[in-house]
Amino acid sequence: MMLWIRKIHKWASLLIGLQLLIWLTSGLVFNVIDHKKARGNAYRQTAMAEQPTLANQALLPVKSILKLYPATLELNQVSILSQPYYLLTQQQGLYRHFANSYHIVNAITGELTLVDETFAKAIAKATYNGPGNIKSVALITPPIADFLKHKNPSWQINFADDLATSVYVEQGSGRLVGHSNSDKRFADFFFMLHFMDYGSAGSFNTIQMILFAFITLWLTLSGLIWTLHLLRKGQYRLKKF
Amino acid sequence: MMGGFVNAVTLTPLTTASRIAIVENNLIKTTLTKARTIRKKPLKLFNLSHKLHKWLMLFIGAQFVIWSVTGAYMVFFNLDYIHGDSLIINHQNKIKSENLTYSSSTLFQQYPRAKNLSVGMLVNREVYRFNIAKQAFIIDAQSGEPLSPLNKNTAITIAKQLYSGDGKVLNAELITTNPHFGLSARHLPVWQVNFDNFASPSLYISVSNGKLVSKRHQLWYLFDWMFRLHIMDYGDDEDVSNWLLFFIASLGFFAAFSGLVLTYFKVIKPIIISRRKSRDRAKKAQQDNRLPFGDKS
Repeated sequence: MMLWIRKIHKWASLLIGLQLLIWLTSGLVFNVIDHKKARGNAYRQTAMAEQPTLANQALLPVKSILKLYPATLELNQVSILSQPYYLLTQQQGLYRHFANSYHIVNAITGELTLVDETFAKAIAKATYNGPGNIKSVALITPPIADFLKHKNPSWQINFADDLATSVYVEQGSGRLVGHSNSDKRFADFFFMLHFMDYGSAGSFNTIQMILFAFITLWLTLSGLIWTLHLLRKGQYRLKKF
Repeated sequence: MMGGFVNAVTLTPLTTASRIAIVENNLIKTTLTKARTIRKKPLKLFNLSHKLHKWLMLFIGAQFVIWSVTGAYMVFFNLDYIHGDSLIINHQNKIKSENLTYSSSTLFQQYPRAKNLSVGMLVNREVYRFNIAKQAFIIDAQSGEPLSPLNKNTAITIAKQLYSGDGKVLNAELITTNPHFGLSARHLPVWQVNFDNFASPSLYISVSNGKLVSKRHQLWYLFDWMFRLHIMDYGDDEDVSNWLLFFIASLGFFAAFSGLVLTYFKVIKPIIISRRKSRDRAKKAQQDNRLPFGDKS
């Protein structure tokens, strides 16, 4: 039996040896990095002002809006850049970052509003308190490299600062997806390595990961049996060491 | 540390005659054909790696087993399943605007400080949800009748409508303070509705707005434990930056690296050598074949 244990251990180590070193290295990186920095929110501020309740009377009655958009699942009164809007959910995912679809309607004029480039820039700027100016803007359809789990088209607003900050604004809702910068990308790179997410699926339940985890089980369990065997045979003696 | 190595070297000059096997630690079996094939450096590296691997793994090998078992659990089960996404039917019920007989302007007259108004469905009726200060409210959009705080029966009805699995409702309990670690305090107060099914699923329905705020089953709690073991966090703050992990993972790096050196010597190198040999043999056979070419027929 030991012959087989040794064989399994050797061949499993050949298959996953390099990935094992990558796991240990990336694991150590997570252990030592500054997790606050790795969130990518160095230049993020909460910009949204409190909704003024005084304006409630000026809002269009929701019934008239819902009549115009009969396929609505939920209507939410939101405030974008201190202006009241109704956010109408047309298709709802289990989470916000799953696929959703929305309409945004101005709550005072009733006008259907689209989050275009100018609007997205203004929203992004309001959440940003860093030293840079907007360098470039792009509309990105998923996958979004900085937010792989986010499944909705989003505006990417890039700022010219020391951290190469990018701000993401969801096109459908005008909501902030998040901030990303070089610190977050550094951590994300090691997460990609640790999760073997070489296809950028934003998940660790991938085929290659499951396969490697399975082989690793064989490697460590055969190693365990081997060590126990050596112990029992008295191969661990300090004299020899 | 060098004991084994010195032994091997001092032994060899005496016994280099022809094919001999040096048996060190019962494990290193190196067949030497000629004395000149003993290269000092690789052997040194091999012995050092062998000792490092053997001794380090004696002490931290158990953690490698834990890493692989917990890691395997985390990747084998789909994360969405662990999150309980499959417990939920994502209803897409549309609002019927004709049912909003209680208008939003009446609402604002009655509750002038209402903020974050929303219109949505509560099971099968249209409701308004809003906040006053930090408190959330629900009122029926047809009658204006307040529905919050949610009573037990309504909570159970909501949970049943959302729940995708089989099994009956076991019970529902109100949680107002001290939530267990799987439930965030910001969701309180909630109704925990427990279902009688595999892995004991529970849905958490907010008492103040009637929405599903969380869902849990036993595999989630198990996942959480696996994660703690994986990051060697034996406190209760789920902290990846702990010294124990740093210490063990650093040693683990050397243990794995030395193991990889052994893999080179014991697996990769033999393959290269046997390939070379078979190539030589093939060449030789080719040369031999040239003469008796038509032999086979």
